[in-house]
Amino acid sequence: MIELQEIISPNTNSMVYWLIALLAIPFLSFITTIKAGNKAPHWATSLLGINTLIAIYLAFLNWNSNPITIKGYWFSIGDTQLTYAFLIDRLTLMMTIVVNFISLLVHFFSQEYMRNDEAKPRYFAFLGLFTFSMMGIVLFHNLLLIFIFWELVGLSSYLLIGFWFEKKSASLAANKAFIMNRIGDLGFITGLMILYTQFQSFDLGAIKSLMSYSQIEDGNWIVQFTNNGKEIVNSLDGRWLSAAGIALFCGAVGKSAQFPLQVWLPDAMEGPTPVSALIHAATMVAAGVFMLARVFVLLDAQALEVIAIVGSITAFMAAIAALSQFDIKKVLAYSTISQLGYMVMAMGIGAYTAGLFHLLTHAFFKAGLFLAAGIIIHQLHKLESKEVKFNTQDMRVMGGLRQYMPKTFFCFLICALALAGLPGFSGFLSKDAILLNLSVWADEKGGGFYIPEVLAFATVLFTAFYTFRMIFLVFFGNFRLSKIVNQENITEKLKDGNFTLIIPVIILSILSLSPVFGLTLNAEHTWFVESFSTPGFLVPVVYAAKSLVEIPHENFEALHGLVNGVSIGLAAIGIFLAYIGYKPNAKLEQAFVERREPRGFFGQVSFYHWYQDALYRKAILKFILLKAKAIYWFDKHIVDGLVNGLARLQVIIAHIAKWFDKYFIDGLVNLTAFTGGRIGQLTRSIQSGNVQTYILLSFAFIILLMLYLVF
Amino acid sequence: MSELLTYIIFIPLTAALLVLLTPKTYEYLYRVLTVLCLGLTLVLIVYAAYDFKTHSASTITDETTLQLIHKTEWFSMSMGSLGKFSVDYFVAVDGLNIGMLLLAGIVLFIGAIASWNIGKKKKAYFSLYLLLSSSVLGCFVALDFFLFYLFFEFMLLPMYFLIGIWGGPRKEYASIKFFLYTLVGSILILIVMIGLYNSVYDPVKTAAETGYEVLEVQSLVKDGSIASDKIVKSFNMIHMTNPDNYIPGSFLDSSSLAKVFGQPARWIAFLALLIGFAIKLPAVPFHTWLPDAHVEAPTPISVVLAGILLKIGGYGLIRTAFAMFPDSAYHYSWLIGFFGMFAIIYGALNALAQKDLKRLIAYSSVSHMGFVLLGLAAMTVEGVSGAIYQMYSHGLISAMLFLLAGVLYDRTHDRMIENYGGLAKQMPKYTVFIAIAFFASLGLPGFSGFIAELMVFIGAFKSSGTIGAIPGWMPVVATLGLVLGAGYYLWALQRMFFGKFWVKDKNWIPALKDLDTREYVMLVPLVILILTFGLYPSLLLDLINNSVESFTNHLLSFHK
Repeated sequence: MIELQEIISPNTNSMVYWLIALLAIPFLSFITTIKAGNKAPHWATSLLGINTLIAIYLAFLNWNSNPITIKGYWFSIGDTQLTYAFLIDRLTLMMTIVVNFISLLVHFFSQEYMRNDEAKPRYFAFLGLFTFSMMGIVLFHNLLLIFIFWELVGLSSYLLIGFWFEKKSASLAANKAFIMNRIGDLGFITGLMILYTQFQSFDLGAIKSLMSYSQIEDGNWIVQFTNNGKEIVNSLDGRWLSAAGIALFCGAVGKSAQFPLQVWLPDAMEGPTPVSALIHAATMVAAGVFMLARVFVLLDAQALEVIAIVGSITAFMAAIAALSQFDIKKVLAYSTISQLGYMVMAMGIGAYTAGLFHLLTHAFFKAGLFLAAGIIIHQLHKLESKEVKFNTQDMRVMGGLRQYMPKTFFCFLICALALAGLPGFSGFLSKDAILLNLSVWADEKGGGFYIPEVLAFATVLFTAFYTFRMIFLVFFGNFRLSKIVNQENITEKLKDGNFTLIIPVIILSILSLSPVFGLTLNAEHTWFVESFSTPGFLVPVVYAAKSLVEIPHENFEALHGLVNGVSIGLAAIGIFLAYIGYKPNAKLEQAFVERREPRGFFGQVSFYHWYQDALYRKAILKFILLKAKAIYWFDKHIVDGLVNGLARLQVIIAHIAKWFDKYFIDGLVNLTAFTGGRIGQLTRSIQSGNVQTYILLSFAFIILLMLYLVF
Repeated sequence: MSELLTYIIFIPLTAALLVLLTPKTYEYLYRVLTVLCLGLTLVLIVYAAYDFKTHSASTITDETTLQLIHKTEWFSMSMGSLGKFSVDYFVAVDGLNIGMLLLAGIVLFIGAIASWNIGKKKKAYFSLYLLLSSSVLGCFVALDFFLFYLFFEFMLLPMYFLIGIWGGPRKEYASIKFFLYTLVGSILILIVMIGLYNSVYDPVKTAAETGYEVLEVQSLVKDGSIASDKIVKSFNMIHMTNPDNYIPGSFLDSSSLAKVFGQPARWIAFLALLIGFAIKLPAVPFHTWLPDAHVEAPTPISVVLAGILLKIGGYGLIRTAFAMFPDSAYHYSWLIGFFGMFAIIYGALNALAQKDLKRLIAYSSVSHMGFVLLGLAAMTVEGVSGAIYQMYSHGLISAMLFLLAGVLYDRTHDRMIENYGGLAKQMPKYTVFIAIAFFASLGLPGFSGFIAELMVFIGAFKSSGTIGAIPGWMPVVATLGLVLGAGYYLWALQRMFFGKFWVKDKNWIPALKDLDTREYVMLVPLVILILTFGLYPSLLLDLINNSVESFTNHLLSFHK
């Protein structure tokens, strides 16, 4: 029988110091930057630079070695030890580099972007806090610790979305993000409860080994092991096994902005744009996908199906919403949701490697798009003055920016092509890997499982469309602002971003080219896919899903050409349609500029993201607040009313008692006294001293006595 | 150092006398004396906790495993055939109360600093505060039911005056309500105490009386071969937890067939204790005295009330109701768990509807105390540890919350959420502390509340999978409290502190200064403590682990 203590007992490894450094440096940045004043940007950026170097060095050391686990005790409840564990494997190393590297670029970029903001120490400190929390999620191999840092990531996201707290919309968006994430985290906690009850540990290593020993008997999920030599048999209803997977997934639904909790992400665009690039595009929102990868082997068939379906719905819904937005960041936000949907769906269908691959490519090209958008917003902001006020994120004021910002345009275009998934760009490789696996999966399952496939392919078309709609609206035609504010010469002030702004974007767009991952058009031959392998499921066989690894390779080969062709074709159609609709002076473009919001049923549904937000606000939020008010009324008037009523009743009873006491008891006493007095008076009146009366009375008594004796 | 606990209890009482004897011309000395003496008490308590032997075996039914025992006979008298009446002065600590003692020390000290600027009737205030301190401390360490009850009741008197004289506009109503409500609970406890006294004997004293060995006595009493006038009855709370010390056939003996209202007497006795302490905790639906008392009480008294007085309810449940009636506790665990879960959500929903900051915090206390009930009902090590941890953590966090509410009230004499906006710009440091306290209270990891709530959740769910005290859906539903908690705190934060700076009354603006030194002195240590206990749970858990394990084994010994 397997001994729990053997799996969780502490061990160490010299690598642990590097891991501690990876956590400590961003934390140091958090606590020192806040007091660093004007030096804050440089100081924080330098620290992140060091951290990135450490991350790269660590990967250099360990990429080809076996996974290393480092464990230790944290605290114990009764005789149950709670532990912590670090894991260094390729997934950890990849995420460590991605998080630190993009964080570094964003720090670098922000030096210029936030130059004139008084609160920049706070800004850079929060970035440090975020990087620290993110590193915790990545490095720890213990569900409880992952959850702890998971929540801290939520906190830093809250703080950064609400960074400009004087704006009401920003603080509301921050609240929304935190609460939506919390709703998802209820699921995460439930997952923790189930797994802990069954395995008495949060250590992922322990959970995984014990999971592989667990069995299903008569519908019960049973695991046997020893803890400190004490034999333990835990049994739960088998449905809790699926529930555990779905519950953990709920956490990812919150963090990775999946249906139905995705509404927070578009609002999160209230934060500074570099923050959107880092947190709400590249890293934090990918944490959900990362977490799914960590618990991948613990998911059963049912949980995986749920994940796949939710992912595909999310991808589709968000792609539709991105079609009609005015705000450039909103387009990118919906696009992020949609791409996250792809990644989550990939995990759900069992395409572990493809999902992670897309996480990586998306992190680069989407961060690139956001930072490029950041340059545009930043440069447009400089045109604002007392007389000229406009929304710097609104695509209706943009147009023709290609001429004024050629470098930004070029980088934006590369990243956009990666997003649209055209050959030669990274997105093509990873997206096609997902679509190929999806097609095989759908063929395998058949029936209703073709729906996710249809949704995913439709999303390819829409993605290409909204991406190029954005390109045409922002970079082609004439600069619309000059017409709107009637100042022809306003363009004189419009310049491309400076060195600090453009360098990170150039780096990110280079990383969005497909040769970075291998000179191939087939994802399978990229170094990334070759470095990762899909792990097998550890859940009891009865509940396990069929792994894609088990499907013959020929099935993939057979579909490969078709999937490639269809996706390229759909992307091309999407771009063409965008060209038709939104090329300079096209009909739609004209209508777009003039309208306050899109017309028609479809336009409205898209613009308002399927009215999901309105539904939440009007139905659920209002309902809860009303219920809260009603319950408070109940508490105040019924529960407390009862208490006060009882008190009042007491008082009334007391008054009655007082009355009773005064008039009855006391009355009796008085009556007695009164009667006594009367009797006294009576008898006194008898004793009148009048002899005749005495004789009369004696006579009367004698008669009465005689009558009594006779009868 | 067997008198250590006695010093801890009586130092504040002595100081109260000193305050009374100090003439009014030296008025400024009262607060100095109070802070110094409660500081000294805190030092002694910290020493007691530091010296606490964490690895020695602890059995909650065995008084020899207690630590820092101070036990002397207080009074005794022979009552003829009813046996001998004996009351001890018996104070000691084990894992179940050491944490509470530590908490009381910290909160009373902070409360003393918070009382620094009390204006009117200083002599009365500080002597009552010290009297309250003594009775609170005594209540946590007394292990003789009579003594415990004495301290328990004695808390009401200073509390009544502290709210009734130094409170807000509706102070009379609030103080009377607090007093009467708690008194109702006390009466229930008193009845059970008398019942227990009649059923439990002291084997050691009986042995001394009869000349037998202790073990012999227990078997002889079982056989009924010791004359009832020789049996020494006992108020000893440790003896009361051991079923061997119940006189066979007595009213509350576990084999007794005695019925009250058609139910076994032990069940009814348990329910009486449950309600008695649930009022103090407070558990829904006995909670309505709390918002009123909190809103009307002056800041330091709110701090003490939320920080420690509520915990006496939880501690009482553990030490008396659960430990003495484990069979009944198991029987009612479903009900207790349900009320715990219900309180979590009900309190949170009420908090969401509040317009008064202090009332919001009060309802959040109701919600947080629900975790204590849920954890206890689970009867697992995780659940009970979680309940104790929650009491401890909530003691610190709610103390901080009420201090912060007091900071604002001191400046403007207004607590309405809607009357403020964008305070972050005006009072940035205050905002940082408010944010820390709010996030700590809504259970953000890294703060102590998270550890407590997590343990309650896993303990409650584990209970459903192992011993079946409560069903698995209860903790799952209770997690909703976390979302609602985030909801009411973040909403309040957003309304009061974010956005453009705005206050209802322009005259407040000069008064709205950021935190001063005295406020830092109170708040910074609390933040450090909340963080420390969030990151190193072993600091507290190591103290309580052995006792909690013994406690849960004791609870389940009846189940098997």
